[in-house]
Amino acid sequence: MIKALRLNAADNVATLLEDAGKGETVLVISEQNESLGELELLQAIPFGNKVALRPMKPEDHLIKGGVAVGKAIKPVPQGQLAHVQNIRSLNLDIPEVMINEIIAQMGIEVD
Amino acid sequence: MQTFRGYQRADGSVGIRNLIMIIAADECAEGIARAISEKTPGSVVVTNYNTCMYGGNEEMIGTMINAATNPNIAGALVINMGCGSIAPDLVAGPIRATGRPVETLTCIKESGTVSTIREGLKRIAAIVDHANATEMVDAPISKLFVGIKCGGSDTSSGIASNPSVGLAADKLIDMGASAVAGELLELLGCEHILKERAVTPEVFEKIEQLISDEEKRWHVEGTQVETMSVGNSIGGLTTIEEKSLGALAKTGSKPIQDILRINAKKLEKPEVPGMYLSETTMLCGGSAMHFAALGCQVILWTTGGAGFNNPIVPVIRVSGNSQLINEDIDIDATGIMRGEDSLENVSEEILKTLAGVINGEKTAIEDFGYAYCSLIQKDQRVERLLSIPAE
Repeated sequence: MIKALRLNAADNVATLLEDAGKGETVLVISEQNESLGELELLQAIPFGNKVALRPMKPEDHLIKGGVAVGKAIKPVPQGQLAHVQNIRSLNLDIPEVMINEIIAQMGIEVD
Repeated sequence: MQTFRGYQRADGSVGIRNLIMIIAADECAEGIARAISEKTPGSVVVTNYNTCMYGGNEEMIGTMINAATNPNIAGALVINMGCGSIAPDLVAGPIRATGRPVETLTCIKESGTVSTIREGLKRIAAIVDHANATEMVDAPISKLFVGIKCGGSDTSSGIASNPSVGLAADKLIDMGASAVAGELLELLGCEHILKERAVTPEVFEKIEQLISDEEKRWHVEGTQVETMSVGNSIGGLTTIEEKSLGALAKTGSKPIQDILRINAKKLEKPEVPGMYLSETTMLCGGSAMHFAALGCQVILWTTGGAGFNNPIVPVIRVSGNSQLINEDIDIDATGIMRGEDSLENVSEEILKTLAGVINGEKTAIEDFGYAYCSLIQKDQRVERLLSIPAE
C-alpha cells in the first residue's frame, strides 16, 4: 500500500511517498515508521504533496513538522489534497497567476 | 565519538586534513599559483578572481585570509602580480600571526612569471616540510566545527536528508561539538522558531536584523528575483514557510548561540560550543569558502542529487532522492522516502561516516571534481543604497 508520512504528532497533514490516485487508500505512518491508520484520497495526490489527515475550516492552520506553515482558505475535508488551491501562506503569498499555473500544471481538482 | 585524530596547529585548532593554500592575491597571479600547485600534492589554489584592488573588496579578502587560517590548512604561499593594490603582506600578515608558515612572492619583483614559478616551488617545499612534521593528536570533539548546508533541494530534502542531518547535529552538540548553518533568506518565516531557540533576546534581535537585511538584498523593487518556483510547488511545497522550515530542519533543535557576521569589517567566530547561524551564503561554491573562513573542518550537505565538493573542507553528501542518487552521495536517505528507514537510523549513519572522515577517511568524491573556491562578498555600494550598515 502507498504510504503517507506524518512528520509530527501535532500535524494535520501527511506527505505522500509515492504518486497515489483518486479513491486510493493510503497507509499513514509516523517518523518512526509506525502505522497510524488508513485514509482514502478524495483526489489524485502526487509524490511529495500533502493529504489532510483531519478536516480543516477556513483560517485553520496547516501544521507540518509541528509548525504552522499556512492556513486554509476554504473547508478542507479529510483525505483532500492540501495545497495551493485551498491553503495560503501566513506571511507572503504566491501571486494568484502563479497559483493558477500550478493548479493547471498539476491538474488539481478545485471544488 | 569523543575524540578525533587530527593535525595540531599553533593557534590551538586541530585540522582533519593537512593542506597548503596557494593564494593568488590578484587575478593575474592565478596561472602562477596553478603552475606551482600542479607540482605540489596537497596544495589548494584560492584566487581573488575579480580584482587587484583593495578598497571595496575587504570582505572578500577577509574571507580569503580566514580560509587560510582554517584548521585544515598548515601554511600558505601568497602570490601577487605587483602592479595592483593588494600587497602580499596584507594577506600574509594575519595568516602568519596564527603561527602558520607563510611565504610571499611578487611576480614583477621576481623577474617575471617563469622565475616566480621556480622560486615559488622552492619556497613551498619548506612549507611542505613543515606540514609533514605537524604533530598528530587525539583532539577532544569540542575542537570540531561542522558546516551544514542544503543545495539542489527537492521534496526529499525537507523530509529525509535535512531532518536526518538536523538530528545528527543535535547529537553532535550533545557530544560537545559545534555546528553552523547559513542561508538567511531561507530562514524567512521561521522567526517564531528562532525566537524560541536563540539563547538570549539580543541574539534573536541580531538574527531578525540579519534576515531582514538579506530580504532587502533579494527583494529589490523592479527586479524579478525568485524565492519560490512553480517547480517547488509542483514538488509539493505549498508556502514559503513550508520551504523555509524544510531548510531549517537541517539545523536540528538545539539553542542558537549566535549568528556569525561576515562583512567588510569583521568575520565572527564561535566563542562557546553549540549550534550557530551565520551569514554564509546560500550559493554553494561560496558557502564552502564561508564555512572554511569560519573555521569548519567538515561540511554536511543535503541535496536532491547533486555532488557538491570543496578542496579545503571535505563535504559529506546526504540525499533522499532515489531517482537521482549516485556514486557521489555519501549517505543514502532514500529509505525514509520509501517509509522503510527512520531519521534515527540515518542520523547514526551520518555520524558514523562523519567519524570516519574526521579521522582521515575520504568522502565519496574527495580529491575529484572540486567546485571553484568562489569568494562571495556584498557590494558595499549596493549595501549603502539599500541602507544596510555593515556593523
